[in-house]
Formats: sequence, structure tokens, C-alpha cells
Amino acid sequence: MSQTTRNTSPTIHKITRRRFLQAAVGAGAASLVLGFRPELIGAFSTDDEPNHVFYPSVYIEIPETGNIRLIAHRQEMGQGIRTALPMLLAEELEVRLEDVEIVQAVGDPRYGNQTTDGSASVRLNWDNLRKAGAAAREMLVRAAAQRWGVEESSLRVEAGVVHDTGSNRRASYGELASDAAKLDVPREPKLKPPSEWTILGKDRKLVDAPDIVTGQATYGADIEMPGLLIASLERPPTVGGKLVSFDASRAKEVPGVRHVFAIDPQPTAMRTFGGVAVVADNTWAAMEGRAQLEIEWDRGSASEDSDATREALQKLVDGSGRAIRSEGDFVAAKASAAKVHEAHFHGPYLVHAPMEPPVATVLVKDGNAEVWAPTQDPQTARFLVARALGMKFDDVTVNVTLLGGAFGRKAKPDFILEAAKIAQKLEGTPVKLQWTREDEVRYGYYRAQYCQKVEACLDETGKLTGWRHHTAFPTITSTFTPGAVAQAPFELGQGFTNMPYRIPNVALEASGFASDLRIGWLRSVCNTFHAHAVNCAINELAELAGRDPVAYRLELLGEPRTVEFSERDRPYGLDTGRLTRVIEAAAELSGWGKKLPNGAGHGFASHFSFLTYVAMAVQASVDNGKVKVHQVDCALDCGAIVNPDTVRAQIEGAVVFGLSFALYGEVTVKDGVVRQGNFDDYPVLQIEEMPEVRVELIHSNLPPSGVGEPGVPPVAPALTAALNRVTGKRYRDLPLAKQVG
Amino acid sequence: MSITLTVNGIEHSLDVDERMPLLWALRDVLGFTGTKFGCGIARCGACTVHVDGVARRSCTIRIGRVRGKSVTTIEGLSDTGQHPLQKAWLDHNVPQCGYCQAGQIMSAAALLANNTNPSDADIDSTLRDCICRCGTYRRIRAAIKSAANEMRTER
Ligand code: FES
Ligand code: FES
Repeated sequence: MSQTTRNTSPTIHKITRRRFLQAAVGAGAASLVLGFRPELIGAFSTDDEPNHVFYPSVYIEIPETGNIRLIAHRQEMGQGIRTALPMLLAEELEVRLEDVEIVQAVGDPRYGNQTTDGSASVRLNWDNLRKAGAAAREMLVRAAAQRWGVEESSLRVEAGVVHDTGSNRRASYGELASDAAKLDVPREPKLKPPSEWTILGKDRKLVDAPDIVTGQATYGADIEMPGLLIASLERPPTVGGKLVSFDASRAKEVPGVRHVFAIDPQPTAMRTFGGVAVVADNTWAAMEGRAQLEIEWDRGSASEDSDATREALQKLVDGSGRAIRSEGDFVAAKASAAKVHEAHFHGPYLVHAPMEPPVATVLVKDGNAEVWAPTQDPQTARFLVARALGMKFDDVTVNVTLLGGAFGRKAKPDFILEAAKIAQKLEGTPVKLQWTREDEVRYGYYRAQYCQKVEACLDETGKLTGWRHHTAFPTITSTFTPGAVAQAPFELGQGFTNMPYRIPNVALEASGFASDLRIGWLRSVCNTFHAHAVNCAINELAELAGRDPVAYRLELLGEPRTVEFSERDRPYGLDTGRLTRVIEAAAELSGWGKKLPNGAGHGFASHFSFLTYVAMAVQASVDNGKVKVHQVDCALDCGAIVNPDTVRAQIEGAVVFGLSFALYGEVTVKDGVVRQGNFDDYPVLQIEEMPEVRVELIHSNLPPSGVGEPGVPPVAPALTAALNRVTGKRYRDLPLAKQVG
Repeated sequence: MSITLTVNGIEHSLDVDERMPLLWALRDVLGFTGTKFGCGIARCGACTVHVDGVARRSCTIRIGRVRGKSVTTIEGLSDTGQHPLQKAWLDHNVPQCGYCQAGQIMSAAALLANNTNPSDADIDSTLRDCICRCGTYRRIRAAIKSAANEMRTER
């Protein structure tokens, strides 16, 4: 999310077999191998960054016999990318999806940006992969035409076989591969029109599902190898805390414990903790040994208290902040307003809690390090491991397993760096560092606690004449640059700067806050709180004006226009016409305006994030002080759709994720220490709380945009509005359950 | 003082501390890594296995307590991966990240072994504290019903 994308049109290259072999073993003797340069991205701007040299990199291989192979250079964490990438290729190559085998890439800048975040994997590979498939198909058809001495136009391709319509001749891609490899790569291969798609836009099952349901899929913790030892790490209680001394004698009495030693913190590498590592024959012994450690810590200066943070954030938004966007004259609008409506919206720190806690295996041997880990960002992991171990970038290999959920947590390689530091002390022995759930909850990179203030000016007729929104929260950049306070444009661009409503006088301001915690990105990032404030304020204003909240939104959006604030928005500025369309679609799908049975209330929200437009209606009631969510209706416009079933699954998942934190999610801090530790005190949604979810996908041939995250932001404000209808109370804080109960 | 137990139909003798949770014995000692660690306090369900046919959280049962008993993990649910639940799981395209799914399937399998016509309430109470952070609950419910249906018609 922090990166800037340069829009480069993909160039496709023929490459030598030797180079393919560096990336994937076992390429056949006479294969057609094509590589292309994926999107180039400034992933890590430091001086010793490996150069992003131009060379083709994401490979497809068409061997004489056997499966077509495609390198998956993005990571699978449940969003279905290992299914979507081969779909893009297979559509244009004209092969069956089952005939494409996926080879998971190691972390390497030759693959361009591998950081799997920002709901960007399909968007960034949409053109590349389809063009690579089309180029290969054209070369294979040309090879057949030359072999048979016929026109290319008389040939037809079906499921990886070229047919000569004039005769009965046919040849498989494998049979044509070595001839095709001698031809030039077409510069501008012709892509199919969407009307001819047979794979894209059709439901496909997850390629990894058969392994998953039989327990055969390999996640981070499932790495096994001879001589493997398991480590558990006791970290200082606070960020910045330091080890004074420790006594390992009781830990060493636990059967199976082999080593106990300290590792140093790495403050400039994502603020990675140090601590005391217990290394044992098995996980239980490592954890049990760790529990027996006696340690004295210097707690450092961290002293944050979340109640005090709440007050401090509110004080910030009550003052003036850094001006981010200004239109008209808000001060004058306020002076002449008939009424000013003012509201503060608060939300707590949140932690990711992916089902798989962080885990990493590292082997340091002969001056090299090899890593196996469930990481969203293998290149940064590789770079930081090399730096931490004093090795060269080329001496480190990062293998990527499946990710047992991530939600942004596994974009930070702190757990890999800890494992590397431990493994370095045990050269020649592979070590797996297993985090507990408590480690994950207490040593997270938290979604920021926030306060948002909205002031809205109304004239005598109730018309909205002015909008001031002041956002205050600790910035993610403090994780990369300790001490940073001001938010980065990409954080403010998430649902704040691009407020879409047409209001004559607008003042947007931001204030930073120095947190003692490590701040990170959590599914949808700053969109979660900006969507909370903007939607709740709009819903309250509609109520004040005696208007229906859907009609009110549509009126404020007005005639379609494009809202663009920076280079980054192009060619994907916010098109208010598309937002209008999803609002109308969600309203219709949900039967908006009809009376609901059983005292249920209906709430509405809409949001634009990761270039996708989402509107959502939530039906909820309160029964004996307990919130019951009955139904969620969602309309979404994410441009062209690769796999509709994945999109629906991601919206179902976004609803669960959004309801979890809207109802319960709350990390609190006292004396700089996180007070929660596991699912007993950080509850998440259970199956019995699962509402019906209906999804309407807007049909579009525009370029695809994000899917994994955009469903999340509207959930909390739509639920808030529904509960407001039920109880008549206004809710401005999250989480909601304890306020309703 | 080795501990003998049967896992997926095969007898194993382990020379481990009695206090070790079954979960880690399965994963670290016997190599059955399909059973997952999610919380360690019996609150997430990722580690669910069958002990003598009953769904249990393997993270909180000490290995000393399963001496002589018969344990089934996801790897042993069916010989061919064709248990009605496994088939229904694929039909409904249930998994997202997949990490919780072995626990969900094993919990559901214990339910269906006794009740091939479960109500929503039966499913909800069986799968309480079987957390799926990816949010596949709707599909889990649908897949359990499909599998139950298949099991009823097979009888
Ligand atoms: S790991 Fe056993 S219930 Fe969570
Ligand atoms: S599928 Fe990811 S936790 Fe359930």
C-alpha cells in the first residue's frame, strides 16, 4: 500500500531455459518458455536495495509433455490468487485450467512487486498474464501454420490443441513448443473480447481445496525436515523494553529443551522484538520451557493507556490540524449556518488474529540462510534477513508456504527475523519459531486507535452547506521510521481525502499521534475508520433532515463526476456514477424502505476503497441485550470479475471480519502493554452469529479492482445505523456489543 | 515409559512426556500436520480430532490421557478423501485460507456420525468455538447439510 505503481505496459520475452530452471526445476528439454516483466514497483527504498533490473521474470513454460507451468509470484492467504492467476493465463492461452500447474515463487525482485496486499494482485497482473497467454498462443499457432504450410486463419485452437479446419491435422501445444520457441514474440498480441471468455467471469473452485480438506496443504507451521528444532520466544512486555537478566535453570529441566539464549531486538527492522529463546525438540517442550523462565526486564519508556489515548485523540480533533483538502470557505459557512451538527467517532486498536499464528523456519548454513514462512512479502523478508544476519541479499532464500490467514499481519516479517536470529546461533540446525496466540495478540502491528470529528453546517432548509472532518490516529509509518507522527498520503487517501459528496465548503484536517504500539495495516486499513465516521455522519444528517439515508446519499452525490486528488488516482479516480449505481443496487437488493419483521432495523453504508465501489444494507435486531444480525445485502462494482465465486466468498468473509470488530474488536493498552491475549478476551464472530449474506456483482468490463478488502469498511457503519433504528440511540463508538447490552 | 495409542488405525508407541498435549504429539512427533494449532486453550477448534469417536480439542488433552485410545485425524477421516463432508466441502467451495477447515470438518464429522439430520441449532452448537476468521460459516453450514443429505440417502 505504501508503494507507488508505475503503469508500464507489459513486455513479453522469450527466455532461455537456463533462466527458467533457476526459478523452477524440471523444465522439459524442448519447451516454449515465456517470461514477462510484471509491474515495477519501488518496494523498498533504501540504498542497499537490490536493483530492479529489467529482465523478464514471471514465467510460463509449455513443455513437450506434461503440464503447462506458471510461476505464482503472489501469495495465497485465502483470497484465491493461486486460482485467479492461472485463470488469466488459461483464458488467452486457450488451455484448460486443470492443465496449468502452479509453481510458488521464492522472494525475488525479478518478479516485480510480490507484496500481497492492497487488494492488488489481480489488478496488477490482469494485462500481463492475459498478454503472455495470448502471445504464447499466437506463437504456437504460427508454428503450426508454418509446419503445415497453411494460413494461420484456417487454424483453430481448443484446449491446448491446434486444429487445421481444412484437414484433419492437429497438434498439441507440446508438439509445437520447440518450433514455437524459435519464433519472435508478438509485440501486441490480440486479446479476446469479454464476450468470448470461457474461463474468466465463471465460477471456479479454489485449486488448493482438495489438499485443504484432506489435511495435505502445507502452511508455515507444517514445514518438517530432519533435525528440526522448535523455538518459543519470550519478548519484553513493551515496545522498546530490554532484557536485564534471565535465569534458565528451571527451563532447562523441562525434558526436550536443548538451548536457552537471548537474541537482540532489531529496532530499525519493523521494530522487531528481541527476547529469550527456548529451543527444544518439540513445540510443547519449547513452550513449557519458556513458561519456566525467570526474566528481569527494563520496561523502557512505553506507558500508553488506551483511555488516555482516547482523550488525547479527542483533544487533537477539537483543535486544528494539518490542512489536507479545502474547498470554499468552511469558516464562513459555519458562521452563517442555521445549525451545526457535531459528532466525535471513536474506535480502538485492533489486532489481526489470523487463524494461523505467525511461524517461520530458518536454516543458517555455510554462510547462507534459507527461510520457509507464510509471508505476504517475501522480498522484504529476504532483504531484512540478509541485513539482520550480515549476509548478502543473494545468500538468502525465502520460500513461501500457504498462509493460514494474514489480513495484513504477515506483511511484517518480524517473526521471520526473530527466527533468523535464533537460527544463526545454531548454525547447521533448522529452527522453527512457533508463535502462540498470546504472542500474536500481544505483539501485533495494530490497526490504529482513532478519533474522528465531523462538523456539518446546515442552512434554514436543512441543506448541507459545510463539512469539516478532522481525523486523528497514529501513523503506520512509525513502524518503518520510529518517531514518525504525520500520516502518509496513502493513509489519508483511504476514504478521507476522497470524500465523494458534493458539498460547497469542505475542510479536511489530520493530526498525528505518537503511539507506544507498533502500528500496521489490517484488512482495509484506514478505510475502516474513515468509512465509519463519514457514513455515520451522513446517516445522522439524513435523520436530522428527515430524509431517507439512501436518497440523501444519492442527492449529495449528484451528477456523475470523477473525484481525483493525485497522480495515484489515475486512471482509477473515484467515479461517483459507479458509487451511485452500487447504492441503488444494494437498496433494491435489500428491499430498502420496506418495513422489516420482528422489530429489526435496517442500516445503510457505502464506501469506495481499493478502487472498488461497495454499498451495503444490514438488518439487525436486539434480543435480550444481544445484537442479532439477520441479513447483509451488498452490491459491489470491482470492474471485470475473474472468479465470481471468489468475489462472493470475499464479501462473505468481509462481513464476518467487519461484524467481528464492529461488535467485539477491542485491544486495550495499560502501561504500554496489550491486555488481551486469546479468543477468550478478543472474541470474534461465531457460526451461530452468521447472518444471511446476499451479494450483487455489477457487471463491468472496466479493468478489475480490489476484492479482498473493500467489503469490510461499510459493515460497521451500516450495523451502527441498523441498531440506531432499533434502539433509538446514537452509537458513535466501536465496538458496539457492550454499548447495546 | 512409552505411551501407546492408535492413530488413524495404526498403533504407535511414543516416548514423550505424559504432559505433552495430544496436538503436539500428533504434529511434532508423529507428523500428522493436518491438525492445526490456533489458540491452545480449547477456544478455536483448529486442533479438533476424534478420540474414540468423540470430537476433542487436542491442544488441551495430555497425551498421557489418550493411552490405549483410538485417535482419528483429518488424514484418517477417509481412505480416499471421499468422506461425504470432504466432497460437500469441495462442492460448496468452502475453504478460503483453509487453516481452520480440518477442525471444522472433524467437528462436523462427529456430529453427523450420530445425527444425519442436524438442524441449524445442532450445527451451531457443535461448531461453537470453531472459529473461521476468513468467514466461511455460511458455506460450512450449507456443506454440512449437503453431506448429511447424502449420508441419509446412502443408508
Ligand atoms: S488450538 Fe485447540 S482449540 Fe484452538
Ligand atoms: S478458511 Fe481461513 S480461517 Fe477458516
